[in-house]
Amino acid sequence: MAFDFDRSILGQVFDETDFPPITKDDILKFAEALGETNPLYTDEEAAAQGPYGGLVAPPTFVTRLRPQKMTPEHMPRFGKVGFDGGRDLESFTPVRPGDVLKMVSTIHDIYEKTGRSGSMYFIVLRNEITNQNGEKVAVVDHRIVQR
Amino acid sequence: MKTIYFEDVEEGDELPPIDMLLTKDFVRRYARTAGMDFPRFTDDEGARKEGLPGMIAPGVLSMGLLARLISEWNPAAQITRIGTTFRSPVLPDCNIHLLGFVTQKDDEQHTAECDIWMENDDGERWVIGTAAVALPTKAA
Repeated sequence: MAFDFDRSILGQVFDETDFPPITKDDILKFAEALGETNPLYTDEEAAAQGPYGGLVAPPTFVTRLRPQKMTPEHMPRFGKVGFDGGRDLESFTPVRPGDVLKMVSTIHDIYEKTGRSGSMYFIVLRNEITNQNGEKVAVVDHRIVQR
Repeated sequence: MKTIYFEDVEEGDELPPIDMLLTKDFVRRYARTAGMDFPRFTDDEGARKEGLPGMIAPGVLSMGLLARLISEWNPAAQITRIGTTFRSPVLPDCNIHLLGFVTQKDDEQHTAECDIWMENDDGERWVIGTAAVALPTKAA
């Protein structure tokens, strides 16, 4: 398949989602599901004495936020098979109970890599998360691999 | 809370490994908690209908467990970046080993870089990654 696509799709916003307020329970359950033992994520009283002055979510909590549209309508297809190639997460400020988060999603990049088994195509979807104070919370790049 | 200060971290330090049996129940519970209640992450038969050999663990679960590796090593380390590559599907019920070490320190920023990975009993690295952490300092 030829590696050809309309470059104007890069950087275009394909989804904006506003989430209901994050609850203490959301954070505690997520931390528990990972088996976390860090008191900053699991113990409200201990966390109050910590650097954030209260409970915060583990950094990968933001990966549980689902955009309304997981992928853009005009998502290019370069191969028959697609799989989750990986994530890169940058964390700026922690998620706390009561936060009202917003996520904006774009196609950040598309590139090709050629290896022994042929060509693989990478589509990088970028999710930028902010909170009710307009602070940048996290940027998550999701690499989808097609071949 | 256990705290490891920047001054006490050395390049080459190993993060205490986490060895666990990744059960189907653990994966299902994570998937349901994380809003990923899809057959491929919860049910063998449903996953086979999607062409998979059986139910798999979501990539973000592996990523979350690698973040936990850092958080258990040093609960006071602030993870500022974590990047993971999912090299192979992770099929429960299997033993997994979460491993990592400090590769670099930055004396001005009080940060450290780590290599982190998840491997199976045969040492195959199913998930690989790196993380950057900001560390508390005794000088502050």
